[in-house]
Amino acid sequence: MPRQYSLKISVSGVRGIVGESLTPQLVASYAAAFGNYCGAGPIFIGSDTRPSGEMIKQAAIAGLLSVGCTPVDVGIVPIPALMLHVREAGAFGGIGITASHNPIEWNALKFIGAGGITLRANQAAELTDLYHQGVYTRVNAHEMTEPRTDGSTLERHRNAVISVVDEASIRARHFKVAVDCCNGAGSVATPAFLRALGCEVLEMHTDPFKPFPRDPEPLPENITGLCELVTRSGADVGFAQDGDGDRLAIVNELGQPLGEDATVALAVYHWLKTHPGPVVVNSATTRMVDDIAQQYGCPVYRTPVGEVHVVERMLQCRATIGGEGNGGVILPAVNPCRDSYVAMALVLEALAAEPVRISELRSRLSHYVMLRDRLLCEPRDIAPLLKLIRGSYQGQDLDFTDGIKVLWDNKWLQVRQSQTEPILRLTAEAPTEAEARALLTEALTILSP
Amino acid sequence: MRQLKIGTSWVRGVVGEALTPELVVNFASAFGTWCDGRPVVIGRDTRRSSPALRAATIAGLLSTGCEVIDLGVTPTPVVSFAVRELGIGGGISITGSHNDARWNALKFLGPDGALINQVKTEELLDIYHGSKFLLASWDQLRPVDTCVDWLLDRYLEHLLSVLDVDAIRQRTSRVLVDFCNGTCAPLASRFLAQLGCTLLQLNEEPSGEFAHAPAPTASNMRQLASLMRCVQADFGVAINIDGDRIGFVTADGIALSEEYALPLTARIRLRRRAGPVVTNLSSSRMVEAVAAHFGQQVIRTSVGESHVIDQGLAEGAVLAGEGSGGVAILPSTMTFDALLTLGFILEELTLTGKSLNSAVAELPHYHMRKRHLPCPPNVVYRVLDRFRVYYEDSNPDCTDGIRLAWPDAWLHIRASNTEPILRIIAEAETPARADEIMEQAVTYARRAVFGHVEV
Repeated sequence: MPRQYSLKISVSGVRGIVGESLTPQLVASYAAAFGNYCGAGPIFIGSDTRPSGEMIKQAAIAGLLSVGCTPVDVGIVPIPALMLHVREAGAFGGIGITASHNPIEWNALKFIGAGGITLRANQAAELTDLYHQGVYTRVNAHEMTEPRTDGSTLERHRNAVISVVDEASIRARHFKVAVDCCNGAGSVATPAFLRALGCEVLEMHTDPFKPFPRDPEPLPENITGLCELVTRSGADVGFAQDGDGDRLAIVNELGQPLGEDATVALAVYHWLKTHPGPVVVNSATTRMVDDIAQQYGCPVYRTPVGEVHVVERMLQCRATIGGEGNGGVILPAVNPCRDSYVAMALVLEALAAEPVRISELRSRLSHYVMLRDRLLCEPRDIAPLLKLIRGSYQGQDLDFTDGIKVLWDNKWLQVRQSQTEPILRLTAEAPTEAEARALLTEALTILSP
Repeated sequence: MRQLKIGTSWVRGVVGEALTPELVVNFASAFGTWCDGRPVVIGRDTRRSSPALRAATIAGLLSTGCEVIDLGVTPTPVVSFAVRELGIGGGISITGSHNDARWNALKFLGPDGALINQVKTEELLDIYHGSKFLLASWDQLRPVDTCVDWLLDRYLEHLLSVLDVDAIRQRTSRVLVDFCNGTCAPLASRFLAQLGCTLLQLNEEPSGEFAHAPAPTASNMRQLASLMRCVQADFGVAINIDGDRIGFVTADGIALSEEYALPLTARIRLRRRAGPVVTNLSSSRMVEAVAAHFGQQVIRTSVGESHVIDQGLAEGAVLAGEGSGGVAILPSTMTFDALLTLGFILEELTLTGKSLNSAVAELPHYHMRKRHLPCPPNVVYRVLDRFRVYYEDSNPDCTDGIRLAWPDAWLHIRASNTEPILRIIAEAETPARADEIMEQAVTYARRAVFGHVEV
C-alpha cells in the first residue's frame, strides 16, 4: 500500500490531520499568505464543531493580524452561511475551518474570496505560490487591528434562504422533519432554520460539543439512525447533513435513504419548474439530472469534480441551479456554493406545493443505480492506468472532463483520480444494479489484469 | 538588522519584523512541550500587537495539548500569582514591558510563578531549536478557559493579606498614578480603594497608545511631575505597562530616580522581617546602607529580573529588586510587583507618619551617572576584555560585564540584554567623583570600541 501523506494542499484548501501535519505553524503562515492575497481588510472566520477548531482558528487569527487584516470571528457556523456573510458584509475574504465530510481527526482551511466564492483554481494557485515564497508583508504594531466577533451569520443566512421559497405554503403544512446534524456545524443552525419554516423538528446528533457520532459523509450506510427515527416518529422527511452543512442526504417518509445523488436531482426537478435555465453539475453526477433538464428543455453542462469548478461554470453560463451528486445543491439566487439549507428549503417547498409525499416525488424521477469502487494506486501509475481504460473503450463515446468517462445511451462508467487521496475512483450508473456492477467489474478487470 | 532578542526567560522583538506569528507559535509550542502539556496561564498587555501574539500563543499551546487559562489584559504579577494559585505547568505574559510600542515579547514563567531561570531557559531553547514539539491529536486537545475573574479577586486578597490594611486606611492618602495606558488601572483602583486611598488617574485608558516611554524613569515622569502641584496628592507614582516596575514623584513634583523603589521598600520590609536582600550589580548602593542599618546583607547578581529572583529564592532573601524600579517581596510575590511595592510604600509612610520627601531625605545621597554607547554585538566580548585589562589594578568583578568597586564609588560596564549597546553606570558619594569615573570609562570605552584612536 502506498504511504499516505496526510497533508493535502489543493484547489479546495489546506487539509491535514491534527497532531500530525496540520500544525499551528503551517496554519499561521497560510493565513498570513491569504491575508496578503486578500489585502488588509476584514476576513471572516468560521468553523465547524471539531475540537481542533479553536487551535486552528487562533493560529489563523494570528497570521491574519500579522499582515494587517482584521479577523472577524463568527463562531461555529455552516460553511454556506459563512460564505453568504462574507459576500453580504463586503469582506475581503473568509476562512472556513472545516474538513467537511472527512473524519474527525482531520481539519482544513477553506479559502473564500471576496464575493463569498471559494477561490478558483488559478486564484488558489496564486495563494499557494505566495505561501511557498514564505515572505509575507507584515505590518508593524501600529497598523495592527484587533479581532472582532459577529453573531449575525446564522440569522442572515436563514433569512436569505427562506426568501427564495414560498414560506407561507411551507409553514401551512407544519411538516414533521427528522434531522441528523452529525453534531456538526448544522447543530447550531438547522433546528432553528426548520422551525422558522413551521416544521416540527425531531433532532438527533445536534450537540456541537460532542464528537461526530458517525462518519460525517451522509451516505446511506452512515445514516441508518436517522432512517429509524423517521420510521419511529412518522416524520414526513428526514434530512442528514455532513460536518459543515454543505451537503444533504434525504430519507423518505418510509425511512428509506434516497441516496445522496437524489438530492440535487430533486432540487433541480423542483426549481426548473419555475426557473428554467441552464444546469451545471460535475461529471460524476447522476443522469437523472439530464433526464429532468431534457423534460424542461434546459441544457446541462458538466465540469470536473470539485465545487469550485461547478460554481465557476454556473457563473459563466448564468445557470439558475446546479450542484454535485454528493448531495450538494448550488442555487446562485442565494449563494454560489453548495448549501444544504437551500436543498432542504427546495424539498420542503416541493412537498408543500402540490402537496405530495417525498416517496412519490422521488418515484417521478427516472431510476438509476449508481455504484462506486476505488483502487489504491501510486501517483505515478495513474496516467498509465487511465490510458489502459481509454484503449479498452476505443470507439465508445468518451468524455475527458475529469478522468475518463465512457458513455452509453442509458449508462456510464467513469474512472478518475481522487483529488484528496492516492486512489482511482470508479463510478458506474445504469438502470439496474446488475448492469452497473458489470460495468465496474469490467473496468476493474482492465485495471488489474 | 532583524530586531529579535532572546534572553533569560523571554523572547522579544519588533512586531512585523522579527516577531512573527510563526516564531511566537513555535515558542509557545516549545513552552507547552517544556510544560509537558500541563495547563498554562496567559495574560497580555494593552499593546496593539498583543491580541495577535495572544492568538499565536494560544494556538501553539493548544497544539501541544495544554489547557489554556486566558486572563485577558493582565499585569505580569497576576499571571505569576495565577500559576501558583492553580498549581499548574507555567505561564506566559505577553508584554513588551518597558520597551516602546513597536516591541513586544513573551515572558515565560515556571510552575513556581517566577520567570524561568537561565537553566530552564536553556532547556526551553533546546526544545525550540530542536523543533520536535508535542503534537496533541484531536482527542487530546484541551479548551481555552476565559472565565477566570475570580483569580483577580484572589490576587487582591493576597496583596492585602501581606499589608497592614487597617493602618494604611487610617491615613487616607491621595495618590496620583500614571498608568502609561498599560494593564494596571482597573486592578490598582480596586486595590487602592480597599486601602482607603484616593486614586487620581493619569493615562489610565488601556489603549496601548502610550502617552510616553513606559520605563518609570525620572525623564519619563515629567508629565506626572508637572501635574503634582495641581492635584495636591501625597505623592505620585508611575507604573509601567505590565505592572512590574514603579517610579515615584514627591508631593512638590520632584521625579525621583527609579533607583529609589528598592531602598524605600527595603526599609519597611527589613523592619518587619530579617533576611538578605538581592539586587543586581548595576543598582544603587542606597540599598546597602538600608540593609546595613538592619544588620542585613546585600547579594549582587547579574542584571535581569530572573537572576535576582532566582538568587533571592536560593538565598532565602526577603526582598529582591533592581534599580530599574522592579521590586519583589519574597516569597509573597515571585515576580516584580508594582502594586505590592506601592502598598509597602504606603504602609511605610503611614507607620512612620512621614512624607515621601522626608523618607527619601533619610536615605544616603549618592550621585549616579548612566551612559550608553552603540557597540556591535560581535565586538562586545573583546571590548569588555579590554576593560578588564584597563582596570586590572582595581580587582574587577566579571560576573556580568565588568564591575569595579571603590570605597566611595563603583562603576559597571556591561552589554545591554535588549539592545546592541554598551551600558556604563557609575555611582559615587560626590558629583565630581561620579563625573570623573564616568569620563574615564567613556574614554576607555571609545578606545575599546573604535580601536586605538580616541574619538
